[in-house]
Amino acid sequence: MSDHAADAAGLGRPRAAAFMAPALLLITAFLVVPALWTLVLGATNYRLTGLAAANPQFVGTGNITEALSDPGFGWSLWLTLLFVLGSAIFGQSLAGLSLAWSLRSAPKVVKAVVETLVLMAWILPSSVVAFLWVAYLSRHGGTLNAILQTPGTDWLIQHPMASIIVFNIWRGTAFSMLLFSAALSAVPPSQMESARLAGAGTLAQLRDVVFPHIRGHVLTNTLLISLWTFNDFTPYLLTAGGPNHATEILPVFIYNRALYGGELGYGSAISFLMLIINLVIALFYVRLLRERR
Amino acid sequence: MSPQAFLRRVGFVLFLAVVTAFWALPMLWLVTAPFDAHPGLTVRWPEWTLDNFRRLSESPYAFSSLRNSVLLAGGAMILVTVFGALAAYALSRVHVPGRGAILYGMLLLSSIVTGTAAMVPIFQLMFTLGLIDDRTGVILVLTGGLLPAAIFVLKDFMDATPRSYEESARVFGASPTQVLRHVVLPIARPGLATIAVWALVNAWGDFLTAYILLRDPTKTPAGVVMYTFYSEGGQANLPLISAFSVLYALPVVVLYIFVSRRYGFRFHGGIKS
Amino acid sequence: MGEIRIEGLTKVYSGNVTALDRLDLTINDGEFFALLGPSGCGKTTLLRTIAGLEVATSGRIHIGERDVTKMSPGDRDVAMVFQDYALFPHMTVSDNIAYPLRIRKVDQASRAQTAARVGAGLGLNGLLERRPGELSGGQQQRVALARAMACEPSAFLFDEPLSNLDARLRLEARTFLKGLQHQLGVTTVFVTHDQAEALAMADRIAVMEAGRLRQLGTPAEIFHRPIDTFVANFIGSAPMTMLDADLVRGRLYVAGTTIEQEVAVRWSGPDPSDGPVVLGIRPEYVRVGAFGPMTVQATIRIVENLGATVLLTAETASGDRLQALVPDGTQPAVGAQVELSPVAERVLLYDEEGHLMTPATQAAPAPA
Repeated sequence: MSDHAADAAGLGRPRAAAFMAPALLLITAFLVVPALWTLVLGATNYRLTGLAAANPQFVGTGNITEALSDPGFGWSLWLTLLFVLGSAIFGQSLAGLSLAWSLRSAPKVVKAVVETLVLMAWILPSSVVAFLWVAYLSRHGGTLNAILQTPGTDWLIQHPMASIIVFNIWRGTAFSMLLFSAALSAVPPSQMESARLAGAGTLAQLRDVVFPHIRGHVLTNTLLISLWTFNDFTPYLLTAGGPNHATEILPVFIYNRALYGGELGYGSAISFLMLIINLVIALFYVRLLRERR
Repeated sequence: MSPQAFLRRVGFVLFLAVVTAFWALPMLWLVTAPFDAHPGLTVRWPEWTLDNFRRLSESPYAFSSLRNSVLLAGGAMILVTVFGALAAYALSRVHVPGRGAILYGMLLLSSIVTGTAAMVPIFQLMFTLGLIDDRTGVILVLTGGLLPAAIFVLKDFMDATPRSYEESARVFGASPTQVLRHVVLPIARPGLATIAVWALVNAWGDFLTAYILLRDPTKTPAGVVMYTFYSEGGQANLPLISAFSVLYALPVVVLYIFVSRRYGFRFHGGIKS
Repeated sequence: MGEIRIEGLTKVYSGNVTALDRLDLTINDGEFFALLGPSGCGKTTLLRTIAGLEVATSGRIHIGERDVTKMSPGDRDVAMVFQDYALFPHMTVSDNIAYPLRIRKVDQASRAQTAARVGAGLGLNGLLERRPGELSGGQQQRVALARAMACEPSAFLFDEPLSNLDARLRLEARTFLKGLQHQLGVTTVFVTHDQAEALAMADRIAVMEAGRLRQLGTPAEIFHRPIDTFVANFIGSAPMTMLDADLVRGRLYVAGTTIEQEVAVRWSGPDPSDGPVVLGIRPEYVRVGAFGPMTVQATIRIVENLGATVLLTAETASGDRLQALVPDGTQPAVGAQVELSPVAERVLLYDEEGHLMTPATQAAPAPA
């Protein structure tokens, strides 16, 4: 009966419109306009300096074709794929699931400690955690080298992708852990007990009882964290894309070329491609949610 | 205990130990180095001192950046909460045509047009508006990005508040603004507090927006300044960095503890538990 | 002063849903008036339209001398108590009660005084500084009442005032409300779907269905002479037994028996035309044994014990079911063959369209 009791305080349409106006204005200005602008700007050869700054030319899909044939872009895309696959799809999901599963039967204190640690990694500001890892992975005096007894290993130089993948897993697992924790607690205990009484071991329980229940959540979680990881700029704080483009994932690539290098038109075209990819992932996610409702 | 059960037990304990170590180790430095008279990169038992915090004032940008962070985060928090609450209330109570589509559209948009994907046009837009190197600009951009999710959550919250309270006040003669002030806002306080904290934490930890929009080092917030401390060439000033990290990270940690005590940090990602 | 007059009131929602259909109704000053009907009949819509929370599509509403049809809710001088009481959780009991006065800009001291006085009148002493969340259901209801009383309106509007209380409390609250309304003498309109509640509390009842008024009358009128089969079915704790019958040349053929002159000659108006009719009789007015002109042979099928009374369901040779309510201890056993006699004066006849045929000139029957 939405019409019936909706306007409880007697707001009326005009006042309601006024209430919504500031928010809608900001959202239009900083979400809608940039999205559209990317399209426009991406079709020009606009640069911050030089001839093209004063007199940008329309190049149509020129930027996009340039991007698609640019080895730097292809390389960046490949790195991003590795990054998302390794740290989100496999890393955070598996880590989150195994943590959620193990902590179910852990003593309360242990559970509290581990959850707090994992959550802290997520909520500490990005520049702080970035430096913590720079220190941790540092060649001379880094704690990792001290523990693994591998003195002199410069992890960020010698194993850059692995480093940022592990870093991102460390940083982002909290969300998956919380999500799976909630999902697991929604699995009816009676079903698990029936399986256990029937003789199922842990793996079998996971496969036959738990997984069917959380299958939907696994999918939506994976999509969500993939979207976030795909857009994550934080690795810049560790490597700035180096050494020598070795960790130049797409967000860093865009920054380096467009904002640092001044190629705004080209950068916009890449941003446009990025928006498209985001859109595809987001639509998948929404579709999944609708199906499960 | 059978051998398999014993092995499983050992494996379980080992797993938890490794997990705990993996997560704790990088953070240990934050607990030891700031209080160490001669901090190194390695984690070690510190020579206890509070000197490093005193030395923060020697850096020209340490405290000013924290102040900037407060400004930016506070500004974003206020705007997100106020604008978000107003919009959510209107959307919840008044039958605006297509409000379902507006809501989902907004939410979708904010997931797609992320800070990263929009960094170029945002930069361009602010350049055109003359808001480069202006903290107000940063606040506005941050607010714009946070509003859709805030409105979504607040609207949900207000939908669940019974309308009879507002109708009751109305029959007693309260005007719509009186209804809002006397009835709606007090009842919506928990939801508003949650959104305010969430916006604050998000804005406090922001790096990219401030990084691309601000030039003047006296205007940059702690997130960016922190980065410059260790990315600039030369020897990293560890006493400075360590003390600064603690001050920068502390408010967020404190807020987390406060919120989880009060409300229990259990957001579900859409699952009823 | 508190008379409520409703003329041609219509309310149509988008999508062509007619919630109120040209209603005409007058509620007398000081009356305890019930709006009764099944869900969706429009009773709540009517109440809300009187309050001003819904805007009528057409028609007029007068409260006292004033035409309030276009007035905003706050100007109509009515007080409404909602089903969930709508007590503001963040205000104390005293502040809740005084809220209408706060809107009227009465100063803090006078407000608190009035709240204390009204609260004391309803037995809320000592609870004035508590929050609604700390009170029991019954106490919350009284706070809501106090708040409505504090502004001394021309009329009270109650939306299902008792449905949030548990069963035992509900009966006590019924008595309490009836007494309070009588004492205050303020026009009160209340909405309920519970016919027993309406019969017990109201001075007059409006039975509604699909946005229309089915019957308007005192509880006695509605109970004894429901104007059509809908009302007849709706009213009464045990449903009225409805039997198909045929009226042929003044004789009634029903349930395998024929009723001769006794019933037929009571028509004082024009003779009803022959044809199928429906005979209605309440189980309370069916006796075991052969009394009166109408006696039916039946076999007892079901016996339901209701405490002081027993409800018998019997089946006649013609396959009709007839129910009788008898005092505990007098009931026959299941399977017994008995004679059942409806009290002649209580029998009601309905025509094919379900309208009441039995004329009102029948004298009120003497107690059996």
